[in-house]
Amino acid sequence: MSEMANTDPEGIDAVRMTWNVWPRTKVEASKCVIPLAATIAPIRPHPDIPTLPYAPLRCRTCSAALNAFARVDLVAKIWICPFCYQRNHFPPHYAMISETNLPCELYPQYTTVQYTLQPDPNNPSSAPQLPPVFVFVLDTCMIEEELEFVKSAMKQAIGLLPENALVGFVSFGTQAHVHELGFSDMSKVYVFRGNKEITKEQVLEQLGLGAAGRRPTAGYPKGLQNGFTNTGVNRFLLPASDCEFTLNSLLDELQTDQWPVQAGHRASRCTGVALSVAAGLLGACLPGTGARIVALVGGPCTEGPGTIVSKDLSEPVRSHKDLDKDAAPYFKKAVKFYDSLAKQLVSQGHVLDLFASALDQVGVAEMKVAVERTGGLVVLAESFGHSVFKDSFKRVFKDGEQTLGLCFNGTLEINCSKDIKIQGVIGPCTSLEKKGPNVADTVIGEGNTTAWKMCGLDKSTCFTVLFDVSSSDKSNAPGVANPQLYLQFLTSYQDPEGKTMLRVTTVTRQWVDSAVSSEELIQGFDQETAAVVMARITSLKMEMEEGFDATRWLDRNLIRLCSKFGNYRKDDPSSFTLNPCFSLFPQFMFNLRRSQFVQVFNNSPDETAYFRMLLNRENITNAAVMIQPSLISYSFNSLPQPALLDVASISADRILLLDSYFSIVIFHGMTIAQWRNMGYQNQPEHQAFAQLLQAPQDDAQMIIRERFPVPRLVVCDQHGSQARFLLAKLNPSATYNNANEMAAGSDVIFTDDVSLQVFFEHLQRLAVQS
Amino acid sequence: MAAPVPPGAPRPGANARQQSPHPNFNPNFQTNPNSLADNMQNMNLNRPHSMPNSGPRPSPFGQPPPFPQSSVTAGFPVASPPMSRPGPPPGMVGRPAVIPAGPLQSTLPANVPPGRPVGLPVSHPLPFGSRPPPASLSSSTGGAVLPSSAFPSSGVSSASAAPPPPARAPAQAPTMRSVLGSSAVSSPQTPPLPSASSPFPAMTQARPPPPGSPYGPQTWSMQPQQGTQPPHIPGSTHAQPPRMFGMPQQALPNQAMTNIPPALGQPGAPMSGSSKIDPNQIPRPIPNATPIVYETRHGNSANPPPPATSDYIVRDTGNCSPRYMRCTINQIPCTGDLLTTSAMQLALLVQPMALPHPSEDPIQVVDFGESGPVRCSRCKGYINPFMKFIDQGRKFICNLCGFTDDTPRDYHCNLGPDGRRRDADERPELCRGTVEFVASKEYMVRDPMPAVYFFLIDVSMNAVQTGATAAACSAINQVISDLPEGTRTQVGIATFDSTIHFYNLKRALQQPLMLIVPDIQDVYTPLETDVIVQLSECRQHLELLLENIPTMFQTSTTAESCFGAAIKAAFLAMKSIGGKLLVFQSVLPSVGIGALSSREAEGRTNISASEKEAHKLLQPADKILKTMAIEFAEYQVCVDVFVTTQTYVDIASISVIPRTTGGQVYYYYPFSAVSDPAKLYNDLRWNITRPQGFEAVMRVRCSQGIQVQDYSGNFCKRIPTDVDLAGIDCDKCILVTLKHDDKLQDGSECGFQCALLYTTVYGQRRIRVTNLSLPCTNMLSNLFRSADLDTQFTCFLKQAAIEIPTCPLLQVRDHVTNLCINILLSYRKFCATVSSTGQLILPEALKLLPLYTLALIKSRGLRNDGRIDDRSFWFNYVSSLSTPLAIPLVYPRMFAIHNVDTKDGDESVLPPTIPLSSEHVCDDGIYLLENGEDALIYFGSSVDSSILQQLFGFTSVDEVPTQFVMQQFSNPLSKNFNDVVNVIRQQRCSYLRFALCKKGDPSGMAFLSCMVEDKNANGPSYVEFLVHIHRQIQMKMS
Repeated sequence: MSEMANTDPEGIDAVRMTWNVWPRTKVEASKCVIPLAATIAPIRPHPDIPTLPYAPLRCRTCSAALNAFARVDLVAKIWICPFCYQRNHFPPHYAMISETNLPCELYPQYTTVQYTLQPDPNNPSSAPQLPPVFVFVLDTCMIEEELEFVKSAMKQAIGLLPENALVGFVSFGTQAHVHELGFSDMSKVYVFRGNKEITKEQVLEQLGLGAAGRRPTAGYPKGLQNGFTNTGVNRFLLPASDCEFTLNSLLDELQTDQWPVQAGHRASRCTGVALSVAAGLLGACLPGTGARIVALVGGPCTEGPGTIVSKDLSEPVRSHKDLDKDAAPYFKKAVKFYDSLAKQLVSQGHVLDLFASALDQVGVAEMKVAVERTGGLVVLAESFGHSVFKDSFKRVFKDGEQTLGLCFNGTLEINCSKDIKIQGVIGPCTSLEKKGPNVADTVIGEGNTTAWKMCGLDKSTCFTVLFDVSSSDKSNAPGVANPQLYLQFLTSYQDPEGKTMLRVTTVTRQWVDSAVSSEELIQGFDQETAAVVMARITSLKMEMEEGFDATRWLDRNLIRLCSKFGNYRKDDPSSFTLNPCFSLFPQFMFNLRRSQFVQVFNNSPDETAYFRMLLNRENITNAAVMIQPSLISYSFNSLPQPALLDVASISADRILLLDSYFSIVIFHGMTIAQWRNMGYQNQPEHQAFAQLLQAPQDDAQMIIRERFPVPRLVVCDQHGSQARFLLAKLNPSATYNNANEMAAGSDVIFTDDVSLQVFFEHLQRLAVQS
Repeated sequence: MAAPVPPGAPRPGANARQQSPHPNFNPNFQTNPNSLADNMQNMNLNRPHSMPNSGPRPSPFGQPPPFPQSSVTAGFPVASPPMSRPGPPPGMVGRPAVIPAGPLQSTLPANVPPGRPVGLPVSHPLPFGSRPPPASLSSSTGGAVLPSSAFPSSGVSSASAAPPPPARAPAQAPTMRSVLGSSAVSSPQTPPLPSASSPFPAMTQARPPPPGSPYGPQTWSMQPQQGTQPPHIPGSTHAQPPRMFGMPQQALPNQAMTNIPPALGQPGAPMSGSSKIDPNQIPRPIPNATPIVYETRHGNSANPPPPATSDYIVRDTGNCSPRYMRCTINQIPCTGDLLTTSAMQLALLVQPMALPHPSEDPIQVVDFGESGPVRCSRCKGYINPFMKFIDQGRKFICNLCGFTDDTPRDYHCNLGPDGRRRDADERPELCRGTVEFVASKEYMVRDPMPAVYFFLIDVSMNAVQTGATAAACSAINQVISDLPEGTRTQVGIATFDSTIHFYNLKRALQQPLMLIVPDIQDVYTPLETDVIVQLSECRQHLELLLENIPTMFQTSTTAESCFGAAIKAAFLAMKSIGGKLLVFQSVLPSVGIGALSSREAEGRTNISASEKEAHKLLQPADKILKTMAIEFAEYQVCVDVFVTTQTYVDIASISVIPRTTGGQVYYYYPFSAVSDPAKLYNDLRWNITRPQGFEAVMRVRCSQGIQVQDYSGNFCKRIPTDVDLAGIDCDKCILVTLKHDDKLQDGSECGFQCALLYTTVYGQRRIRVTNLSLPCTNMLSNLFRSADLDTQFTCFLKQAAIEIPTCPLLQVRDHVTNLCINILLSYRKFCATVSSTGQLILPEALKLLPLYTLALIKSRGLRNDGRIDDRSFWFNYVSSLSTPLAIPLVYPRMFAIHNVDTKDGDESVLPPTIPLSSEHVCDDGIYLLENGEDALIYFGSSVDSSILQQLFGFTSVDEVPTQFVMQQFSNPLSKNFNDVVNVIRQQRCSYLRFALCKKGDPSGMAFLSCMVEDKNANGPSYVEFLVHIHRQIQMKMS
């Protein structure tokens, strides 16, 4: 990983592709095995991106934005759209354009530019600078201690919110309570029953926010603030500065759910209704308001819509096995419910963030759809007292360098050259169902569109766009067509200050006739991106396709890839070699097969859903770490250096730092651990040892600081029980089967899994088969 | 278990007295000076069981003083000290009667002149306590005194107006009717056998009507002579002290009376004929001022009870007090045919928790331990004094079903020479008409419920703006301290407009938490536990909240009110325990479950269609509320609704809920924030403090030959034999109609037993068993003689009330009139055949029936000029109304108050009543008219301004305000007026709703419409009505 960390493979555009040269035809594309895909982090900040204070010029026919790849006739004041070849006149205010006076977007180095859009005076819905809205939805079905943790986290969060941010509060247990923060006489809550599905209209009506209920409510300053005139919603949503005190005292008094829990039963928890109610409440906000529902959930939903398990404790929460065997009676219904919730939220443009902290599952698998479609954040922890929750939660609200840069109401539009079809997007977004000539027939992920809604997105949000090539051999004679292909990503969004921004990223790649030569193709292969894209597709297929055998599918594809791009003599495994552009890929696949994304049975459906959501939204580098963790070795003998992800890297006198994205493991070799236990690091003569001990800690902290959600830090010693976090990720080159061969101080892994070597042997054999 | 009496109960000998026991032992004669206090305590039957042991309560088994003959008089002085002693009221032991003045003053100062004992409900028993000792009893006979008693002949009839003779003298019946003229001249001292009936025409010139009131005090003085020495009665009976009500000697005069002059009686006689009837001589009710003592049985036979409206003190000597149960006829016809011939109804009016007179003995509590009370193994009737023990006490014969049961071994006792068990007088269940058994486990499906009070207050815009919300909150705040003490008392509170607001009152919270239930189509309770909490835990929160509610909703603009949803939600919160739900409603329920439409207005705009269907507006709008009510009753939730409104609220629909759950509707229309809060508070306080029970079941059993036909009242009936009462209190009365299914034996007795299983407010499960045994007769005349006017009329009234929502009004009125006519016709036909057809002959016992019938026809419920809600309220009010209050409701009392200071030294605080005729209303007078619920004060047009100044503080009739608050000024007139009002309040257990009426004003018209003897749009004058009845009888005769 470390060598990657220094480079910026995404550059100013934040775009990476599986293939950086594209085969021209559908047939050839399919022969490439690894699909044509681009990943983009649409609002990733980069110091070189210029921000332009005006709106971009759009092509008359395809509405692509003017970009550096447009051919410009400075004399005729005409530009030719690279996507549709439409000739567009420059408008009058571009009259000054000349060779020496080019607008920023035409500079070749500014393939990505950002525009600040002025609010449209004719469209009141895009009213200026709406403050963000945060509705906290807090579970109260938990033990006192947990509730205290989550309360203090909430208080801290409210303190961190911008003063003008509007805050609402919903708590829930057996029933959902909407707290009217603007009622000064006493604490006042609207109670919604937990076992009844409720529509947005009902919520509004019952909160007195419906069409009929939109009467001026006396006692509240009228017609004022924040553009929420006369909706009455300002009874429930108050500026953070106004309601901080109320909320704090309210939280102080808040008790765990008072409804009795029968012995041998789970608490009755109406997560579904609570979220519907929160969504309904936000429905009263003006359209275009950036709002997030921050759900803090401490257990499974057992009441009403969204129920994932019965209250009877003798019935365990569904496992992957149950899902496979269709033995999870609540699953589909709950998913359907959250799907409709997602639709509502998307139509309102609001985000659902999920912070789940429980030892058992809470239903992340079911809620995934709502979180992912709205671009919400998700954090899964064991306890609200755990740093994974606490620090992550703080990060969400904290400003400054570490800010997540939470933005709202994003829309992604993609323009691409003729013959390129978009199959879909994998990532935290929703298809806007905007049909066009560039829409492919086959759909992968959020498809059937050239535009996507991202209710919430942040600076690290990343999407995978899957493409198809439509042209056949005959339709386009080579040479006639443009040798370059163009892709343009237009992302509009509200930034944290409420400004509307538009970022335009235009990239070009080369067409290649792979029938003639695959060499160019090989050079254009990005194996890291390819591995991540394969992982994302695999995850998607595992979710969508019943009885999908991920391992077989990956193996088959890998063998096909190796057969196509490897150098070998038929039926001679020993002759097999791979181009360096492919050399890492088989190992990625090996680790992917062993990863939590494919080997789901070691995890709960909730964890799997969590891992997959993060896999889909993280950038390639981080996603690659999820698939194939990085391992750094610290010893007296050398500087910290990457180590093989192999059990053989374990040594008694080394410290290993494993970063598997979700957890970071600091692993002390036996000897190191003994020294440490004896306290050598505290002796002045052993300062070097102290530094050795400290180095991985510092590095770990550095990773933790950068990452959201905050990873779990595991500090362990060789042969300790926590060492399993490391061992599980290592290549089992040494197992009890060959324990006699191992070196002293090394370790064995008790597994029957094949090791990388065995995997390679098989791969070579199968790849060369005729 | 030889002694099933509770171990701690006073035993014979404990209170040993010199007097020897007597079978007719009357416990009130035990001269325990503390008896009143104890009575008070025990009257509140809901005391913890330990009470009997702790107090110096008179021993029920002690040697009672010899009762009859001379001892009676001796007994009185003894009994009187406790009577005059201001004892604590029942249900609020130890609280001074004036208490309401304190809290009231703070919030409603205007209503409460300092020092005046207001708040009747609180001080309710005071009427008795403050009454003069019954030393003057000797001068008072029974209640019914003919108004024309100034005349010798009528004087006789007034004596005879006393209760009918006992069964022993039935033989005279045929000769007992009076014939016109035959008794025309008779002296009081020697009443002629056929008792007086004055032929009006003959008398008119002979006797000038006494000026002013025809029934002055002189009436009283005449009565002793009249009644004392009936010549032909054997000494054994007539030796009874004359003041004893219902004495046998009164049996002799027959009860026929009023005549219509022949001329009048002719069919087609012109109305002018009425001028020939002296309106002063026609029958009118005459109150008696001092209580009489009434023994329920004497000489082993039932004693006919005094009129329900009279003042009496009961000695339970085997039959129950008539307060608890009384029959329309005090002798039971042997056959159904005989009953049909009489045209009378056979029914019981049961008021199982009726409030006793403070001088009466408390009901004894008997604990049979785990085995529970002894019962007949066939009919499950409870052991009672009429079960006959045979075979040396080893067996007993059930008086209800006739089955012979084995006596339980530990209940065995030998019989004495008189055939009674030797221990009969020591065991209340064998010598008392009413006893209470401690219920054993088998009578409980769960632990007895705690006392739960849930208050539900309308806070919609109208409610807040009219002050109704503030009045309700203030009333509740004041009654909190009256709720039963202890950890078993739980309270909850909620408010509602277009949503329902619950409040979490738990002490842990810094302030109450408002929980809003916004889904009013499908309601739920917002918390399972903390919306109903122990009173001791939330008192401060509750008080704070009640103070805040009116201001909290002051600016509310929510006009809608979700009454149905709110009570449903409150019910859901209470469902697991049950309890009382007290709802304060101010506007028409317009949204949510059970929302109602403004039917009245719709009816008005669509008159042509509504004419025929007018009564439909008096029916509930839909079944939703009824279904809810049945569910409430099932879970023992009793709902009382306080309607404080200025508009139509559809009481017809709303009232279904209280009616089904054993609650009641209180109606304040038009609600006035000035004058009504005091009444609201007092009503609420009485509602909570009166003797009452929860989760009750009641059944009436009858001897073979008679069976219960139906029950009517405020309850829920799921199976035909029982009524379920989520709540039962001392004011609730249930009409039980009876029918024959076989013949009864002449000379035998027919038994009735009402068993009420209930839970006291202190959480004891009790069975109150009320027994009545009446003689059976084959003689029609006996039936007429023993007819109980008040009960019969109450029965009429209730049945008319039931018909009102289902029948066209004309039909109801005709039905009522025909009931009256048919009875009189039967009497005329079979018992007064000798007399000329020109005479209208009324049975003495029922002589007021025409007057009451006329009053009923003119009453608010049977008029169609009133508001729908007024009528709905009227017939709902009637449905649970007790007999003593039923009569004044239709025939109110009227007093002159401009001269209350000119008392003639009489012991009575109340001035004489005035007939309800405008002839008696003078232009210079001020009159008070009260019907037990409302009180109208009428100002003549030329009232002396100084009187006005003294009484009301203004000097001209023109200054009569629209809203009235009682005030006491420092002058005797005002003081007396206040005393009068307080006495009435105490008598009625009601604070009374005052309205001021001015001559020539619509308010004056309202007053005049109460003059039932006048001819007006709603019916003929009294005289005309008598003529009408007479004519009808004549027609049917011929």
